[in-house]
Amino acid sequence: MGRIRELVEYREMTASLVRRELRGKYKGSILGFLWTFINPLCQIVIYTVVFSMIMRSGLENFNIYMISGMIPWFFFSGSVLQGAGCIRAHANMVKKIYFPREVLPVVVTTFQFINMLLSFIFIIAVVIVEKGRFNPVAWGYLPLVMLTEYLLALGLALLVSACTVYFRDLEHITSVLLMAWVYLTPIFYSIETIPDYLLPIFCWNPMTPMIEMYHSIIYYAKPPETAALAQAALSAIAFLVLGSLVFGKLEENFAEEL
Amino acid sequence: METISVCEVKKSFKVYFDKGNMLKERILFPNRNRYERREVLRGISFVCQKGEAVGLIGKNGCGKSTILKLLSRILRPNEGTITVNGRVSSLIELGAGFHMDMTGRENIYINAAIFGLKKKEINARLDDIIRFSELGEFIDNPVRTYSSGMYMRLAFSVAINVDADILLVDEILAVGDVNFRKKCFDKLKEIKASGTTIVIVSHSMEQLYEICDRLIWIDNGLIRMEGDTRQTAGAYLDEMKNERG
Repeated sequence: MGRIRELVEYREMTASLVRRELRGKYKGSILGFLWTFINPLCQIVIYTVVFSMIMRSGLENFNIYMISGMIPWFFFSGSVLQGAGCIRAHANMVKKIYFPREVLPVVVTTFQFINMLLSFIFIIAVVIVEKGRFNPVAWGYLPLVMLTEYLLALGLALLVSACTVYFRDLEHITSVLLMAWVYLTPIFYSIETIPDYLLPIFCWNPMTPMIEMYHSIIYYAKPPETAALAQAALSAIAFLVLGSLVFGKLEENFAEEL
Repeated sequence: METISVCEVKKSFKVYFDKGNMLKERILFPNRNRYERREVLRGISFVCQKGEAVGLIGKNGCGKSTILKLLSRILRPNEGTITVNGRVSSLIELGAGFHMDMTGRENIYINAAIFGLKKKEINARLDDIIRFSELGEFIDNPVRTYSSGMYMRLAFSVAINVDADILLVDEILAVGDVNFRKKCFDKLKEIKASGTTIVIVSHSMEQLYEICDRLIWIDNGLIRMEGDTRQTAGAYLDEMKNERG
């Protein structure tokens, strides 16, 4: 509890580091902040070509289906991947001044979260262009779903960021795992097409209910199922608790190990 | 009132012979991960009163900087307790979190926030910081265009304007030209007069004579002598002279 209070006291640090990330990242490049959009846009164009022209999925309005899963996935994978290296990337600060170390993963996750919020402009644009349905009641659940995903991403970011300090390979291992993870989550296909013997993997994947909820709200224009919400929230809280405990335990020796 | 109280603190570091962090290295060369524990502090106790300036002296590697890091909570002691009452600011790392592509003004906000200041507090100090740094109109230029002197002046100005209850200073009063250094020193005295406790590590005896009420001589992880500035410094300098032979 003491750590949470301290984290709140350092909220200005978190805010200004997030601002620095947002503004500093693209300074000096010609397209600047637009890269935040161009990058996922290009990926989405590539995936669209692959999945709606080459490997037909059979889902109608596939673009809406895919983008409503992709953008939340980018948020998640970006947080975990950038989170893995965030303590080491700020080694100089960690070694020389005191601040609650949790600030660093929180900054990463928040930065990626804001990127996702901005990218939702895309989702809305695609839904309009593809003439999808909007259900305001379903969209009302969106903040709750996003919050759940934020907690899950933060939990994992805390976990991997602390462990990477002691075991550097984890950064690379994380990126390999995420590469596989994206295909073990129903983003490019519907969960109905998965063979039965693979289902357990999808059921244990905390990102499955998460992405399913986004699909439900944006693609099917229906409020998310309570069961999915409960499962997602439980796993988010579990990972957050685990991440905080591990981080709290390992953080004492960061300055020595770096 | 005691602002700092250090009680029987011990600290040791792992010293790796050749540390392998990668999985490959760990598996292929398990011997590389051997390390020995080196005791840096072997039971240190002292207290500092409010408004007091205490200097730490001793040979290189005797543990002075480790004490400052323990006080600022960057490191944790292996044994013993440290109680610090109030906000700590350190002139140990200058320019933490500076972003080269952002302006001096923007960097003031980032840097001060890292010291734990709220937005309102930063706004209130902004003019003082800019005036102190003598950067003038350059404050709105990107930091990458600064000379190293300008960079240090800006960083120093933020750190010294934090208004901490405890200020830790590590051997960095060598910033800028003679006049700026003088100004920093005067500011340090002013801060002390306003009731801030200062713990300073320095090899410059003149600086210590000028500002410290008391010196602590650390030798080989233990307190060798503690007391009046000139007496302690005299004993320390004598010992150093003897060692030189």
